[in-house]
Amino acid sequence: MYGTQSKRDLALEFQSQIPILRPSIHARRANLTVKFQDLYGFTVEGNVDDVNVLNEVREKVRQQGRVWWALEASKGANWYLQPSISEGQSLKASLKLSAMANAITLKRLIRKGIPPVLRPKIWFSLSGAAKKKSTVPDSYYNDLTKAVEGKVTPATRQIDHDLPRTFPGHSWLDTPEGHATLRRVLVGYSFRDSDVGYCQGLNYVAALLLLVMKTEEDAFWMLAVLLENVLVSDCYTTNLSGCHVEQRVFKDLLAKKCPRIATHLEALEFDVSLVATEWFLCLFSKSLPSETTLRVWDVLFYEGAKVLFHVALAIFKMKEEELIHSHHVGDVINILQKTTHHLFDPDELLTVAFDKIGSMTTNTISKQRKKQEPAVMAELDQRLRRLNSLKLDDK
Amino acid sequence: MSYDYLFKYIIIGDTGVGKSCLLLQFTDKRFQPVHDLTIGVEFGARMVTIDSRPIKLQIWDTAGQESFRSITRSYYRGAAGALLVYDITRRETFNHLASWLEDARQHANPNMSIMLIGNKSDLAHRRAVSKEEGEQFAKENGLLFLEASARTAQNVEEAFIKTAAKILQNIQEGVFDVSNESSGIKVGYGRPQGPSGARDGAVAQRGGCCG
Repeated sequence: MYGTQSKRDLALEFQSQIPILRPSIHARRANLTVKFQDLYGFTVEGNVDDVNVLNEVREKVRQQGRVWWALEASKGANWYLQPSISEGQSLKASLKLSAMANAITLKRLIRKGIPPVLRPKIWFSLSGAAKKKSTVPDSYYNDLTKAVEGKVTPATRQIDHDLPRTFPGHSWLDTPEGHATLRRVLVGYSFRDSDVGYCQGLNYVAALLLLVMKTEEDAFWMLAVLLENVLVSDCYTTNLSGCHVEQRVFKDLLAKKCPRIATHLEALEFDVSLVATEWFLCLFSKSLPSETTLRVWDVLFYEGAKVLFHVALAIFKMKEEELIHSHHVGDVINILQKTTHHLFDPDELLTVAFDKIGSMTTNTISKQRKKQEPAVMAELDQRLRRLNSLKLDDK
Repeated sequence: MSYDYLFKYIIIGDTGVGKSCLLLQFTDKRFQPVHDLTIGVEFGARMVTIDSRPIKLQIWDTAGQESFRSITRSYYRGAAGALLVYDITRRETFNHLASWLEDARQHANPNMSIMLIGNKSDLAHRRAVSKEEGEQFAKENGLLFLEASARTAQNVEEAFIKTAAKILQNIQEGVFDVSNESSGIKVGYGRPQGPSGARDGAVAQRGGCCG
């Protein structure tokens, strides 16, 4: 139960409409916890310093917007939506060169953040969602939601149970309209891929996609491209095998990139899955503040799933000294949870993630995954057999 | 605050049976019908006094959906007590108890004390599992048993405290080697005379974590 201290009682309510948050001098002096809504309508609790950081972040978002507009002015609108180099085989050499230059500019630019107004368009195009949608008839999503209306499955029952438990208190998500919209997206997807059906965690991912994308249909396609192309496969299937693989790859990466931390945590018998399960399944949406999460997603949709490792490693790296002085598994989890909840400045995290972790290619990560898969499958198989024999005993 | 012992508890059971609500009722004495879904690990902590000894309970709460059960192995490690929860209004949550127990036996300390809780006793008009069935299951499997309500707080306090009393009894009977942290028990600072074996080997620790 993170952050349920009595400080909450002292919380001051801030109106969401106020663009710049101005904590009172009293709040400053008393070092009170204040409650306010962030850019995406989430209620945030933090101290006065956190409020100031968020104000700075808003200003940086505005500045970053100006950079994007300036580039549009010089390179033409939608320059970033041009085919990537690999697809443009038949392009002339000069065009190839400009495409390459654009790709380099774009990578750097995206790591610095996509302005919120451009996110729907850029995510949709760069993630491959647009392409995925273009391969089926225009009416696909409408037909799907109509066809599954009123159907009851274990997945729909679980979805109904989880709707009110998805970011409760959010100004739009936690309304009848928000619930109904999120339900259509999740139920629709559970029928599109019955191997996945519905897995807890997807509710958070889909909810945040709904807040960013302009339409629920686009949110649906973003969810589809994430699960089918961006993330490792089988991340959300019944035994979460893909997620197990990612945890093992992550454990090895931690040992390689942050050996001091890994050695210490091993001695405490701390297993990374205690914190990383939530990170990998909710793609940080339940752990990091919203703008920080979306900045991670900006890069995720352009550079792929390896980004999740960069970010997860960065969180450990940022707290190296504290972590190696921790004595218990509980302390470790507390440090990491507190850190993620308060990462209001996305650049603080992303700078570490991309400048201090060292490069990791998608290729090496794929090899790591291949290496871990047999062990994961064997372990899951063993568990299944154990539980099956239990069922036989009962008969 | 100093304590004689720190016990690690885990709460297990199907999704939606009220694990997080039981925890919140115990630690904060309030009921929050709508709360965030638990995916990773959440903590709660509270001091209790048993036989005039201050004991700190550190309670771990996690996801209940079937697929997550393949991940929670490290969650069981070092737990001295477990609350195994089902919902008296949903039969299937009772039917799954055996496989939860199997996971617990596989991953937890064999001496872990387990309290079976039939939650949502305030919804007795929608009851799908009788109290006798709960009692019977507990008896067959050597578990403590209570029906409780996280909403009205009925038996919530008792569930946590009776489990702690059982653990304490086990310590006094020498069932646990408290010098070994995998027992889920830590010995605190300023502890008065305790059972032999605990005094010499145990590392005195102040519980710095989890509030």
